[in-house]
Amino acid sequence: SKTAAKPADYVYFDRTSAGFSDEAVPRAKAAQLKLEHYYKVAVDAAIERNTRRVELERRLQSDSVMTDERKQRQLVQHGKKESTFLRLRRTKLGLEDFRTVKVIGKGAFGEVRLVQKTDTGKIYAMKTLKKEEMLKKDQLAHVRAERDVLAESNSPWVVQLFYSFQDPAYLYLIMEFLPGGDLMTMLIKYDTFSEDVSRFYMAECVLAIEAVHNLGFIHRDIKPDNILIDKDGHIKLSDFGLSTGFHKNHDSNYYQRLLEQANGATAPTPAQAARNSVMVNSINLTMTSKDQIATWKANRRKLAYSTVGTPDYIAPEIFLQQGYGNECDWWSLGAIMFECLVGYPPFCSETTHETYQKIVHWQYHLVIPEDVHLSREAEDLVKRLITSADRRLKIDQIKAHPFFYGVDWEAIRQIDAPFVPRLRSITDTSYFPTDELEQGPEEPAGGDASDANKDLAFLGYTFKRFTISSQAF
Amino acid sequence: PTPTSQVSKPLYLCSPFVEAALVKGNFKTIVMLPKYVDIMEWVAVNIFDFFQNLNMFYGVISECCTQQSCPSMSAGPTLNYTWINQDRKSVQLPAPTYIDYVMTWVQNLLDDENSFPTKSGHDFPASFPSTIKHVYRQLLRVFAHIYHAHYPQILHLRSEPHFNSLFAHFLAFGREYELLDMKDIRGSSNSPTVGIGALWERWKEMGILEG
Ligand SMILES: Nc1ncnc2c1ncn2[C@@H]1O[C@H](COP(=O)(O)OP(=O)(O)OP(=O)(O)O)[C@@H](O)[C@H]1O
Repeated sequence: SKTAAKPADYVYFDRTSAGFSDEAVPRAKAAQLKLEHYYKVAVDAAIERNTRRVELERRLQSDSVMTDERKQRQLVQHGKKESTFLRLRRTKLGLEDFRTVKVIGKGAFGEVRLVQKTDTGKIYAMKTLKKEEMLKKDQLAHVRAERDVLAESNSPWVVQLFYSFQDPAYLYLIMEFLPGGDLMTMLIKYDTFSEDVSRFYMAECVLAIEAVHNLGFIHRDIKPDNILIDKDGHIKLSDFGLSTGFHKNHDSNYYQRLLEQANGATAPTPAQAARNSVMVNSINLTMTSKDQIATWKANRRKLAYSTVGTPDYIAPEIFLQQGYGNECDWWSLGAIMFECLVGYPPFCSETTHETYQKIVHWQYHLVIPEDVHLSREAEDLVKRLITSADRRLKIDQIKAHPFFYGVDWEAIRQIDAPFVPRLRSITDTSYFPTDELEQGPEEPAGGDASDANKDLAFLGYTFKRFTISSQAF
Repeated sequence: PTPTSQVSKPLYLCSPFVEAALVKGNFKTIVMLPKYVDIMEWVAVNIFDFFQNLNMFYGVISECCTQQSCPSMSAGPTLNYTWINQDRKSVQLPAPTYIDYVMTWVQNLLDDENSFPTKSGHDFPASFPSTIKHVYRQLLRVFAHIYHAHYPQILHLRSEPHFNSLFAHFLAFGREYELLDMKDIRGSSNSPTVGIGALWERWKEMGILEG
């Protein structure tokens, strides 16, 4: 019986960490956290497993056509699938289970490889992320959040993550391979798209961004490099953020510091700054957009690989540290749309700093070059996306905008895409700039032993997805 | 050899530690075999997890479990475990040695594709149930030794809610799948209930464990 009084055998125990080695306390803390995580997952998994079963049973019960024998078979099948998933949890996948076919992409924290799982022969994209770099850049909260999104979404608009594992030095993500490359590569190849083609990609991006928002997330770093093309030519958003989002130096402090440095040197008044920019603009006007495209393209991929990253598509409110909501993603969409139609993003400049300045003073710098002809609808949409957050169009207004007239929002993923990749095999990488990428040796042979803290940071990173596809493993 | 019976009562049986728990309520939801699921897979993955989790906690206090502090693998004044060596002889080992043997042996079993198959198409061997029974029993002994010899250290490191829940879960699981031999937690039947046998009784009274 419980009473307010302490039981007779109540003991006061003086806790102390004296007498333990330095590692004992952090190790104990890590063990506690891991166990908490373990039970949280165990309970969630039990609930989800139960839901899956109940749903199937209900579906079978309400089916008056199917024979009992077939129903029975489906239940057995269901049990097999669940059992396979349990087995997957005991399966240790590691680097040795995958063979590199080619390096196909590069990001700030590592690279993306086309890999083949040795036993099944299935093809995946494997992203490696160097833990140390991520710790340095303080990316961890992000990594977790982003990983969770990837893991939880079954959205056709988001690249699927199947499996993740880690060794002391790297995180590895095994995701579906999208053989069509990315929109950046496509823009490099085609310079610009027609309005019809742009309409298609923009409409798909609208739905993809909406899907991300519906999952409760803000992407913050939508750019052509993160828009991937599947085998049918439709788009998916790449792993937002395992490294994207605020990664690299896209944090506002960085830009703030950059700005202060620049101001410290010459301290231009806002008026001066604006005048300067007008001058820059007038020079630009003498340059045809063709020249501009050429310059832009020459630097584009270098920019994508650099660790500084391009702020070209980032909304001003993100830099200004006044708080922001998911409208910032619609600004990015506007910048991408501009690029699709014009050939370069609206605020592109020689330096990151200049780009940043132009974005913050977008009113002076958003100019559609005279030698580019845009329809009234296209120009209007660009200007209603690249505008202050409070005046920017919202999802429903975007979908209803005249530029999208005729788009079937329900069925767009089912219609034929304007460019369908022509693939010779499942490992065809012709849509990736593989010759520009260093085809290094078989990568990462582990690393130094990790200390408890580092491990802790990546707690819960190892992930296995429950889908039909997980039977692949 | 302690002066009063009050002091000799193990800390893990005393309030508030005996009640400390990370997981509240009954373990049934996560112990029960999910409908339609293969029992072998279910038991295999759970034993796998118990091993990982226990190994992790032993790793935390292993610096306190030495040949000097623990010259025998004991779980109470009248409860001493012996290791069966290669010649099938029963031998006394210092606890750290014994536990090292257990953990190495289990790890090797878990990594052995023939004992714990992971590849598709590989079935569990006929000996699997008896293997599991052995593994369970040895892991139980490691738990028992930690409770008996290292509970104060668990307390110093503020891990008692975690360790209690892990053990309660382990007991509930063993009970459900008939892996738990009461003799292993109570000692021989003619001596009074000791150590974790008493803990089992307390937790049962408290409703943490099923009867
Ligand atoms: N699942 C995938 N299938 C095919 N290619 C991919 C996949 N994921 C990424 N890539 C390729 O690798 C490139 C870099 O990947 P990603 O953009 O995810 O890296 P990152 O580290 O996030 O860098 P950034 O944030 O600059 O985009 C992409 O632009 C794309 O070309």
